[in-house]
Amino acid sequence: MARILAKKNSLTQKNIIKLRKHLDFYREELASLEGKYDEKLDKKLNEFLIKGNRKIAKLAFEACNKEQYAEAEFEAKLQKYDVRSYMKQRKLNHGIAKKIFKKASKGEPFGYLLVSRDKKMRALDKKRAKYIERLEKQKARFLEKNSLTFVVPYNRKKAALENEYFALKAKLEAEYTAKLYKEKSKIQDKIIKNEKKLSKAKHKIKATHTLPDDVLLEVKGLKMYFGGLKAVDDLSFNVKKGEIFGLIGPNGAGKTTVFNCITRFYNATGGDMYFENKYGEVVDLRSFKVHDIILQGIGRTFQNIELVKEVSVMENLLVASTRSYKTGFWGHVFATPSLKKEDKMLRAKAMRILRFMGLESYAGWYAMGLPYGILKKVEIARALMADAKLIIMDEPAAGLNDSETAELTETIRKIRDEFGVTILLVEHDMGLVMNVCDTVCAISFGQMLGIGTTEEIQKNEAVQEAYLGVSEEE
Amino acid sequence: MKKYLNKNYALLGKTPPKDERFTKVARALFFNPIGHYILFGVLCYVVAYLATNKIIPDLIPYSLQSSLAISFSFAIASIGFCLLMGYSGLASLGTGGFIGIGSYSVHYVMYQAELPLPVAIVAALLVAALIGVVVGFISLRIEGIYLVILTLGLSEILRNVYMVVEDKIKVKNFELFGTLIKKQHSLYIVATLLVVVMIITHNIINSPTGRAMLAMKNSTAAAQAMGISLIKYRLLAFVICTMYAALSGVMIMITIRSIQASNASGYYALITSLNILAAVIIGGFKSIWGAVFGSFVMYGMQTAILQDIPFFAENPEFITFISGALVIIVVMFFPGGLAQLILELKAKVKVWYKKIKEGIYGKDLG
Repeated sequence: MARILAKKNSLTQKNIIKLRKHLDFYREELASLEGKYDEKLDKKLNEFLIKGNRKIAKLAFEACNKEQYAEAEFEAKLQKYDVRSYMKQRKLNHGIAKKIFKKASKGEPFGYLLVSRDKKMRALDKKRAKYIERLEKQKARFLEKNSLTFVVPYNRKKAALENEYFALKAKLEAEYTAKLYKEKSKIQDKIIKNEKKLSKAKHKIKATHTLPDDVLLEVKGLKMYFGGLKAVDDLSFNVKKGEIFGLIGPNGAGKTTVFNCITRFYNATGGDMYFENKYGEVVDLRSFKVHDIILQGIGRTFQNIELVKEVSVMENLLVASTRSYKTGFWGHVFATPSLKKEDKMLRAKAMRILRFMGLESYAGWYAMGLPYGILKKVEIARALMADAKLIIMDEPAAGLNDSETAELTETIRKIRDEFGVTILLVEHDMGLVMNVCDTVCAISFGQMLGIGTTEEIQKNEAVQEAYLGVSEEE
Repeated sequence: MKKYLNKNYALLGKTPPKDERFTKVARALFFNPIGHYILFGVLCYVVAYLATNKIIPDLIPYSLQSSLAISFSFAIASIGFCLLMGYSGLASLGTGGFIGIGSYSVHYVMYQAELPLPVAIVAALLVAALIGVVVGFISLRIEGIYLVILTLGLSEILRNVYMVVEDKIKVKNFELFGTLIKKQHSLYIVATLLVVVMIITHNIINSPTGRAMLAMKNSTAAAQAMGISLIKYRLLAFVICTMYAALSGVMIMITIRSIQASNASGYYALITSLNILAAVIIGGFKSIWGAVFGSFVMYGMQTAILQDIPFFAENPEFITFISGALVIIVVMFFPGGLAQLILELKAKVKVWYKKIKEGIYGKDLG
């Protein structure tokens, strides 16, 4: 009955998917509008400042070096004076020496000549001191005078520039806030419109099943037969919200088959799977195609890493958001501005996720040469990129060494706490399972052996027999 | 003065503005792949103008112009094949048959119905899209070598249909936007369309569609888990490929003017499909420039360059050896094609440059 209803409503479902895509886009756009004009404002103000500073730079140059200039002039004048006074002294000494020579040759006394020379020398020294005083006065006057001619216009112009700057800033801010408000209200109108449409479309689809409040995924009587082989036979379990659910079992127990049934890679032979999707509605997973599962909020990682090796880590994340692009094929062909806008938004989102995962520095790297542990993390980041509510991990610790496994354990806990995702994992590494899982479900040959906390499972005799017992002997 | 300006910026805590030696137009042309395509188109125009108008005699021989026109017509199909094989991971040997769609629509629309060229192009694209959808649906069921065989069969069926319907097709001189287009003017149209195709392909490759195709090529399971519908993108890849092939057929018809379909080594036979495969292998599976260069090697080199060498002029049968040897060398040493070779050279030049710089300025500064 449920399936028939779902088929009937498939058109409405498509419409709902489209509306939701639009809504997601608008919400993201609204969020991205927050700092949209800050950069522009900064750029414009910066440009203004640079232009103004260029104009007054010459004035600033002279104002800065005024004192140096006065000092240099003082020194130069003093030097000039000293050179002149030296010549005078030389002349004086020369003349007196001549006179002394004459007197001495005639045999007359010449002591008074020496006294008068000393007197004249002292007078010259006094004159020099006076000159220095005069020069200093001149310097002071120069500095005072120049403060009027150079510094004041500079200060005045700088003040004017600052005033202009603040006026421009106020003007631009007012302009941009008005613009921002207009754009925001436009988008909000669109959001309201779309929400109305969405609620109308939702009314058409009747809820066929309800889940308890704390349950995210309900698997009921799942059967998967490959011809005569019963890979999964009548398996039922519930995955609670926000828990880390481990699925264990010996090789060939059908764990991966269960995963492939949930993600619709296999069409289950029988049974029901109900899931509370990322919009809070309970949906029947069997009514979706493989490539529509991700829109409901189920992301998965693979046992052998399945990344696109010839593009960068960033583009690998963008692969996961292929379905969230609002722009259609023709937009892609002509590289329209709206596509570029969306690309920018999604790249920012991908960068946020990479930063959270500690992979920021690898964003531009090709996926080809990166170590295994990092690629595993990139796969988890890719699942997060699609806003997954439930992440299904197929043997996340396969091929990792001990330290990488420990890091992965931490990462798994971290994404559960931070993004509020539920994690469903298949794992052979018992250390990881017992360490990280809240609930463990053990299966063997497609049938359930036991379900419970890790301790309960460890004590479970059937599980010990089938699985742990063997490993103890080893 | 400059020092003081920089000091001023430093005081303000701002960085000086970016080096704006180039104008906006120059930056768009020289530092942007799309600009490179447009420059390439302009270069083709110059070559066509010089070859037809004979302003400087013997600068560009007429044979170069015609060989460029033919090789660029095939380059359109090669680019489509690149998108199909390098990006979507699907194989096809039906290119020869798909090229015929374009040629026949030119024959019927322009020669018999005497309608303008754009109508012929639209007709070719529509028919090609239809056939692309059919092959795309087939590709959902069949993969790998079986798909190759199937497309080969389809191509042969198409060729037989052409032979039965009308063996010899031709087109006369025609008017486009008020100017008479003769055979020697075809490079103008071919270059224009090639540039448009290059730009569109570049856009597709760098868009979510291109990424989705790459994801599909790498792993269908992961692609489906990431919300990529196989039906949609396989159909899309085949439709684009056949459309490009048909467009290439239109261009070939305009450059060559009369073709016989029953010719076993003609343009609609298996040999064309193989030649285009070889062109894409030589150029590189994921490179637009590689596809263009590869088709020049396969179709233009013979008449443009090798004919002037006396050895090849005397023994024309050795010409095919060159392309064969190139394919072998490329596959053995450069699996990514000549595009990979150029990338590696670029990286090496960078390393050399760095070493020289270190030699001059010392390690710390370099």
